[in-house]
Amino acid sequence: MATEKELSDFLKSVEKRAWKRAVYAVRDDDAALDIVQDTMIRLAEKYADRPAAELPLLFQRILSNATMDWFRRQKVRNAVVRNFSEFEGAGSSDDFDILETLEALGGPLQSESASDSVSRAQILQMIDAEVALLPARQREAFLLRYWEELDVAETAASMGCSEGSVKTHCSRAVHALAKALKAKGITT
Amino acid sequence: MNQNHSSSYRLAARDAIESRFARGIAACLTESAQTVAPDVAERLRFAREKALERARDVRDSRSPVGVTASGAAIAGFSQSRWWLRFASVLPLIALVGGLILIQDWQARTQISVAAEVDEALLGDDLPINAYRDPGFSEFLKAPPSE
Repeated sequence: MATEKELSDFLKSVEKRAWKRAVYAVRDDDAALDIVQDTMIRLAEKYADRPAAELPLLFQRILSNATMDWFRRQKVRNAVVRNFSEFEGAGSSDDFDILETLEALGGPLQSESASDSVSRAQILQMIDAEVALLPARQREAFLLRYWEELDVAETAASMGCSEGSVKTHCSRAVHALAKALKAKGITT
Repeated sequence: MNQNHSSSYRLAARDAIESRFARGIAACLTESAQTVAPDVAERLRFAREKALERARDVRDSRSPVGVTASGAAIAGFSQSRWWLRFASVLPLIALVGGLILIQDWQARTQISVAAEVDEALLGDDLPINAYRDPGFSEFLKAPPSE
């Protein structure tokens, strides 16, 4: 059973990332705060007696469900479904060598020729914006897998899809980000 | 054979590059997430404290020793708390049972009274039709003559 301190430390460690994830999904700071609060309370009410090791996955699942509930309440589910379908056709017709780009982008991210004038904060902002532009499922898979550091099986369980789908979403998200950032001149 | 090795090597290399790039992006996102507005940080802190308070309430309600409203400590049973629910409906069950018993007792009394009347009527020498005769009724009402 997680102690109060463990629960507190866990919530403190995920709250900002959770808020950012909710902002990416709903694009509204206040609504995102409500979603995170709702998620924290649901976790505390129903799963506070679970071991601390189980909290991250439970939290991510509750956060996803709370976000979906928000969309349901807003009656914009059709918009989400449209976003979901966007990734189906994306990524397959890239006409440049993505591997080459990825290799170029693999190191620490900096600005290319305009490195002197573009600050680190601006680069972070650009990355933030590009992540926000990803199709919903790709973004969710990418963030759960690489930001929340869940493994493929945990990400699949959290998203309610197969492990193969997670790999596909992640790969497409990486390629889309690489392409977009290269276009903005952010590279090694 | 060599082709298979080569393609699996290429796939693994590609995965590694994708993974490295993705972790770089994730690191940037983490850096960016650390700089949230003060009001957002404050609301997140408030939400966290509210959640912890709720967790405390849940833990207290599930603790092994339950204390009733009158202050008496009752050990052991509060895990499931079924007995508390049972105790709360016990007076209602007693009331309903009592009402059913009273109704039954009243019905039996009425039946026995009616049976006594019937028995008296049927056991009498006088025929029942006599009570329907107006003259006999008048005779019964009239004071007994010496």
